[in-house]
Amino acid sequence: MKALPEFEKRSQQEVKATTCYMCACRCGIKVTVENNNIRYIQGNRDHPINKGVLCAKGNAGIMKQNSPAKLHAPLLRKAGTERGAGEFEVISMDRALDILEARLRHIRSTDPLKLAYFTGRDQMQALTGFWASQFGTLNWAAHGGFCSVNMAAAGLYTTGYAFWEFGDPDWDNTKYFMLWGVADDHASNPIKIGLEKLKRNGGKFVAINPARTGYQAIADEWVGIRPGTDAMLALSMLHVLLKNDQFDWEFLIRYTNAAYLVVHTPGQIGHGLLLRDEAGNPLVWDQVKGMALDGTQPNISPALFFEGEVQGQPVKSVMVLIAEAYLDEQYSPAKASEICGVPAEQIERLALEMAHIAFKESIEVDVPEGWIDWAGRKHYKFIGRPVSMHAMRGISAHSNGFQTCRAIHFLQIMLGTVDVPGGHLAKPPYPKHIPPAVKPAKDCAPNTPLRTPPLGFPTSPEDLVLDENGKPKRIDKAYSWDAPLSNHGLMHMVISNAVKGDPYYIDTLMIFMANMAWNSSMNTAETQQMLVEKHDNGEYKIPFIVVSDAYHSEMVNFADLIIPDTTYLERWDTISMLDRPISEPHAACDAIRQPIIKPEREVMPWQEVQVELGLRLGFPALTNPDGSRKYKDYQDFIINWEREPGIGFLAGWRLDEEGNEVPLRGKPNPKQWERYAEEGAFFAYHLPENTRYYRHANKDYLELAKSAGWVGSTKQIVIELYSETQQRFKLAGQGLYAGPMPTEAHHKERLSQYFNPLPFYYKPLEQCRIDEDEYPFYAVNQRPMFMYHSWDSQNAWLRQICAQNYLYMNRQRGESLGLADLSWVWVESHHGKIRVQLKLIEGCQADTVWTWNAIAKQAGAWGLKAGANENTKGFLMNHLISELLPQQNDALDGVTNSDPITGQAAWYDLKVKIYPAAETGTWPLFSTIKPLPHAQESPDLLRYQTHAAVNVVRSMEDVLERGSVHDGNRGTSGSKTV
Amino acid sequence: MHPAFSVIGFTVASGAGYGLFILLVLAEVYGFADIDVPVALSAGLLALVLISGGLLSSTLHLANPKQAWRAFFRFKTSWLSREGVFALVFYPLALLYLIGVYVNDAQANGLVAFVGLSAVVIALATVFSTGMIYGCLKTIRQWNTALTPTNYIVLALATGSVLLVLILAFAGKDSKTMAGIAIALLALGAMTKAIYYFWIRTVIGPTINTATGFTQGKVRLLDTGHTAGTFLTREFSYQAQHSLLTQLRIVVFALGFVLPIALLAFMILAWSSGWVALVGVFAMFAGITAERWLFFAEARHVVNLYHGAQHT
Amino acid sequence: MKLGLVVDLDVCVGCHACAVSCKQWNTSGMSGALTDYNPYGEDPSGVWFNRVRSYEVGDYPQNKTINFPMSCMHCEQADCVDVCPTGASYKRVEDGIVLIDQDKCMGCNYCSWACPYGARELDRSTGTMKKCTLCLDRIYDERLEEVDRQPSCVITCPAHARHFGDFDDPDSNVSQLVRERGGYQLMPELGYSPTNRYLPPRVTRLIPTEDVSKKSLISSVKEWVNKMVER
Ligand SMILES: Nc1nc2c(c(=O)[nH]1)N[C@H]1C(S)=C(S)[C@@H](COP(=O)(O)OP(=O)(O)OC[C@H]3O[C@@H](n4cnc5c(=O)[nH]c(N)nc54)[C@H](O)[C@@H]3O)O[C@H]1N2
Ligand SMILES: Nc1nc2c(c(=O)[nH]1)N[C@H]1C(S)=C(S)[C@@H](COP(=O)(O)OP(=O)(O)OC[C@H]3O[C@@H](n4cnc5c(=O)[nH]c(N)nc54)[C@H](O)[C@@H]3O)O[C@H]1N2
Ligand code: SF4
Ligand code: SF4
Ligand code: SF4
Ligand code: SF4
Ligand code: SF4
Ligand SMILES: [Mo]
Repeated sequence: MKALPEFEKRSQQEVKATTCYMCACRCGIKVTVENNNIRYIQGNRDHPINKGVLCAKGNAGIMKQNSPAKLHAPLLRKAGTERGAGEFEVISMDRALDILEARLRHIRSTDPLKLAYFTGRDQMQALTGFWASQFGTLNWAAHGGFCSVNMAAAGLYTTGYAFWEFGDPDWDNTKYFMLWGVADDHASNPIKIGLEKLKRNGGKFVAINPARTGYQAIADEWVGIRPGTDAMLALSMLHVLLKNDQFDWEFLIRYTNAAYLVVHTPGQIGHGLLLRDEAGNPLVWDQVKGMALDGTQPNISPALFFEGEVQGQPVKSVMVLIAEAYLDEQYSPAKASEICGVPAEQIERLALEMAHIAFKESIEVDVPEGWIDWAGRKHYKFIGRPVSMHAMRGISAHSNGFQTCRAIHFLQIMLGTVDVPGGHLAKPPYPKHIPPAVKPAKDCAPNTPLRTPPLGFPTSPEDLVLDENGKPKRIDKAYSWDAPLSNHGLMHMVISNAVKGDPYYIDTLMIFMANMAWNSSMNTAETQQMLVEKHDNGEYKIPFIVVSDAYHSEMVNFADLIIPDTTYLERWDTISMLDRPISEPHAACDAIRQPIIKPEREVMPWQEVQVELGLRLGFPALTNPDGSRKYKDYQDFIINWEREPGIGFLAGWRLDEEGNEVPLRGKPNPKQWERYAEEGAFFAYHLPENTRYYRHANKDYLELAKSAGWVGSTKQIVIELYSETQQRFKLAGQGLYAGPMPTEAHHKERLSQYFNPLPFYYKPLEQCRIDEDEYPFYAVNQRPMFMYHSWDSQNAWLRQICAQNYLYMNRQRGESLGLADLSWVWVESHHGKIRVQLKLIEGCQADTVWTWNAIAKQAGAWGLKAGANENTKGFLMNHLISELLPQQNDALDGVTNSDPITGQAAWYDLKVKIYPAAETGTWPLFSTIKPLPHAQESPDLLRYQTHAAVNVVRSMEDVLERGSVHDGNRGTSGSKTV
Repeated sequence: MHPAFSVIGFTVASGAGYGLFILLVLAEVYGFADIDVPVALSAGLLALVLISGGLLSSTLHLANPKQAWRAFFRFKTSWLSREGVFALVFYPLALLYLIGVYVNDAQANGLVAFVGLSAVVIALATVFSTGMIYGCLKTIRQWNTALTPTNYIVLALATGSVLLVLILAFAGKDSKTMAGIAIALLALGAMTKAIYYFWIRTVIGPTINTATGFTQGKVRLLDTGHTAGTFLTREFSYQAQHSLLTQLRIVVFALGFVLPIALLAFMILAWSSGWVALVGVFAMFAGITAERWLFFAEARHVVNLYHGAQHT
Repeated sequence: MKLGLVVDLDVCVGCHACAVSCKQWNTSGMSGALTDYNPYGEDPSGVWFNRVRSYEVGDYPQNKTINFPMSCMHCEQADCVDVCPTGASYKRVEDGIVLIDQDKCMGCNYCSWACPYGARELDRSTGTMKKCTLCLDRIYDERLEEVDRQPSCVITCPAHARHFGDFDDPDSNVSQLVRERGGYQLMPELGYSPTNRYLPPRVTRLIPTEDVSKKSLISSVKEWVNKMVER
């Protein structure tokens, strides 16, 4: 073989590690840079999340960095022009910060609630939340409310961790994996890595989803369920498990509250609460002693099933209530089948298959040094039930999502698969005690930081954030009777509420990294109207809108002040353990981003803006008593700020007293950023073998977790099958609670109807307020694996894959309605209508239609040119979805279209009718957004390369001499490359 | 396949040119037409114009014509290369022949005849190569048949013969024999074409099932993986309306074969006029252009299977 | 050597990572740039070496979705090479990789006609044909770590559905996979003898349920007898 030419001039290239941000999965990447241009982005093999692989988006980072839609400088809406008209003047960063500082200083010193600060899917909620607390406004939230708070809440109120990013299936050991309502998810690469592992190990993969694409394509069994009915399916499987006596007695008795006694006095105050001793400990019936004992003690023999009278009160054990609830005929496979559309035999078989794997194919992981349980007993094995599950927005984006998700956790718990080998594993800093011991802040005052973070976990009506009249204190009405456990706020209600002045008007809306004028708002067209709505006196109802974005999104167009952010390859950033974890189940991990490319624009990372504003406004945590700065800048702040001694934003390479580097807890290390940069931009602390499972009851683990600041106590985390929190709110609704209770009838009804200590199925709210015969189709969305929300249409490579979305419908169903493939149809909901192009496919449940999410774009945004398919043919389903429940002229008209428990936006409750359209092309069409002052025309041709190609030349000799490749003379006549 | 007009023009024109030249030489050498110097030169020149025009138009579709000179190098395996080499070799022979005819006062004997017949062989080889360019492609079942080079040769000869009739008629020569030959060639062309159309009706070869390897059950395309067209869809996905195809076949036979035959017969039996021949030539070229257009339009490349076609 | 790829259809989720990864490596690679036309306008398109299509097999509800990535198969009987008049297209003797010499191609498209698998795409701005190089400029680059001397699409695939190796070596990972999983060629009847193979979806194992289904089913709480389990 002749030597090949030198293809790459390595001397001109540099490879740096950082963290991807093309989505929220946060994979580790190695970026090769050549002359300040990206040559190549590769997955970091050592990284805990992606282990070297990279998804389509991550691979397209070059085209995000080169987007023509990048913002170049701060922009201020031109005086005298209308908001939304797209008239901006370029201002300096100093001036932008001065304007913002002045405005914020005034708000902070008068009424901090006048600032509403909402942040999107960033991974620095710890920082923005900290900022809001220091500012002193309750009105802060991140995207969880419109995203998947149902998953977080259901998990944190049940097992102490959750689906979403808080746990992972034990991919190495699981033999049966059930995936509920997931398209790509945040664990984008980990799920793909895991599914392959599962299949290679001969495991079975069952996918429950109305659509069969993506992950479901490779499922061994596809369960094409009707949207919104998963609770029915899960609880029917639970019914089958109970009927066949297939549940994990040991697991239930040792690790859950299944044996706890519940007071059974229907109609009385206190009904349905746990029976407790004087010290407040829950009681169980001990079979040996024949009496009620503190159920948290070790070495007792609780009766799983107990019904009787204790302390003069009629009681039932939780398990009795569970059996009564789910053995009921309504959950029989035959009945469930009518609702969820899954054949009864299949429900039965799936349940039994799981039971077989859990109990007949259970596994054991040996721990030679032994592990010590919460009570101090030593064990040498971890027993594993290798059935695992994962669930996401197909479950959460329904108004019954919280209860549905709990129902799924119930299956896991009954099978004993929670944090055991082969089951569903927590990722440090999870699990937490149930629920985490943070209560939402309730009070605020001028120039005063909040006492607790704005978001937390209520356990009773006392924890709600209400004023003395029982009215919401937060602009999004989080923690009100509308949505008591809205742990992530209700970002999707902010604009609508602020414009109505309900509960009050605000002054400034500050939005970081969320495209609220487009795809993260329900009811997009009206939201755009609201953003420009004025009082009679000509003042805007939302007086001032500040947007931090890195690109020319639809939201940018509605800003009064735009603070241009850097791209992910241009800044320092932390992916902190104080935030959503990037840990692996067996390693506690965090990460950083470091600048790879030098921006040639006047941009400033929002991180730095945060710290700079905090310093200017004199936040107590950032300034010394004399008003001087405690920290120089963002980097300095990250290194030196401590939440509690030894715990800061970054857990890696901290220092002990002697100045040695230590993990997890230690003094600030001035070289911390450098150490991360040197070590691949991430930190991983691998858990010792004996702390890898049963962490809810693993003493070694709990002690480690306490010292690392992950949990507040080393007490056993008792899994909550029975939720007293739920019952307290239910009692409040029933008028049986000894504490705050709602006064309005619809709130009472809501609480008593939807809160329940045991999960149950109910029909999603929207569907109860429309004529379902008129709107026969469920309409849902899926994340395409190759696109991230609105921001990837600016990506020249990704948009080639998908620049137009279709409405996918079951072929046979479509044909029976006389709808032709690729024809244009009207899709109409109770709220509005859109015109879209139809595609008939096999892999779609017959009553469901679906489309890719967020493909459509407003003309002029994202650097797209006139005629871009996203604009002329793509569509958003958001136009059909109302942020309020369907109007029926009753008290519910003004109530959020969300889960009544958590306030999770109910995107997928939508029902529609579909009929042929005479015209083609998408409808509605929006006005064209004006180019920004600094914008350059997007190119018509792209020939990206970081160096001239090095061709491999075929010699003329070979051209002239070689015969046919068919001649079988391969290797003899010889191609020669020179 | 996308019917590119440069390629249609090339094959029709150069085919007719080669056919004309071949018949000119044969008629002269074997004396079955009255060829004098003006007739020979005008026929020869017309042939060369058609051939050159065709070749030039064929380079129009090259995306990187500055490397076109390399096209002669892979004679060993490439029919396209062979076509180029034969076409190149043809020119000196053809010119030599015409000079010989001119110098020899239209007496094609001895060396001239040898040069002429060599040119005929090379011309036939060229046309055969043109046919084989398409005929060798296993990816397109409508082409991958001996009928393809046969058609190319027969139609080249047929169109060439009609052109020769035209020239003879305008030169006031007796064109009856040549018209007879033309009728025979046209009839042969019509026959091979009819066989061809009949033959391609039978679907054979790969299907979407063998293309994907999923042979149990119906396979349907769900997504091509790109919203807009690609090189592949532009190059290979061309699909004309079925009704258009049927209509064009009628055009092929009516204008390409029946009308010219009728006119030639009329010339033999009633009135041998250049004008009648001219009408025949126009009709024939319209018909053969349609034939060539159909040749591409009806060809279905197997890559279409990956874009959802059930078969080709 | 006979280098090529194995694509595992049992685990390919159709994420397009391989396609984009190929694009980013190769746009600055030996056949770059891979031009994009109308990148921000109507009907964006461009030159790609690897495309992922999806198919549905069978009728609802017995349907299965198959994601199907395709790039050059580096055929043993590569007609695309034979038909090329300029000699720009050739198959390397030493490893069977089919390449296009960008300095020799005249852009006649003929090779693309001869390719059954849609592996060749013309770059209109250079006027030359381009295709998968099997990442020749990675796999022999000794300055890369050994694990990285693999095609970009292979290293990136999140589902590990892509494997690269030498089919001439019976012990190579690819040969083993083909043997064990019944790796097959696409359209073998055309006789191109493509080197790349596809692994069909695995057959799902049956999970017994008789051992966990009770003869007499429990229908109320009363039917349970408590077990002694120590907490
Ligand atoms: N590539 C990519 N990855 C992303 C994102 C992205 O935009 N692109 N976005 C990120 C964000 S913010 C989020 S929240 C996550 C969400 O990640 P996913 O949870 O994957 O979210 P969706 O795409 O909404 O997928 C919902 C799935 O549930 C199905 N479904 C709908 N209704 C039901 C139902 O009632 N029951 C069941 N069983 N299934 C149902 C849908 O068909 C769809 O497949 O993805 C994150 N990851
Ligand atoms: N119909 C329907 N609507 C939905 C959903 C659905 O399933 N169906 N899903 C919902 C869900 S789960 C979510 S999470 C939301 C997501 O919706 P959004 O949060 O609105 O997500 P994006 O569209 O990605 O918008 C993020 C914004 O951040 C900007 N950005 C990107 N990078 C940076 C950066 O580095 N710095 C800054 N400052 N800004 C940056 C982008 O330009 C963009 O404007 O959509 C919701 N909307
Ligand atoms: S999943 Fe993809 S886009 Fe998201 S962080 Fe990982 S590589 Fe980046
Ligand atoms: S990267 Fe892997 S899983 Fe994704 S489409 Fe390509 S082969 Fe399939
Ligand atoms: S796949 Fe196509 S381009 Fe590649 S070697 Fe085979 S025939 Fe040639
Ligand atoms: S396009 Fe280039 S590589 Fe293909 S056949 Fe023509 S000259 Fe050869
Ligand atoms: S081997 Fe290289 S060139 Fe070929 S498809 Fe994969 S990444 Fe692209
Ligand atoms: Mo989300």
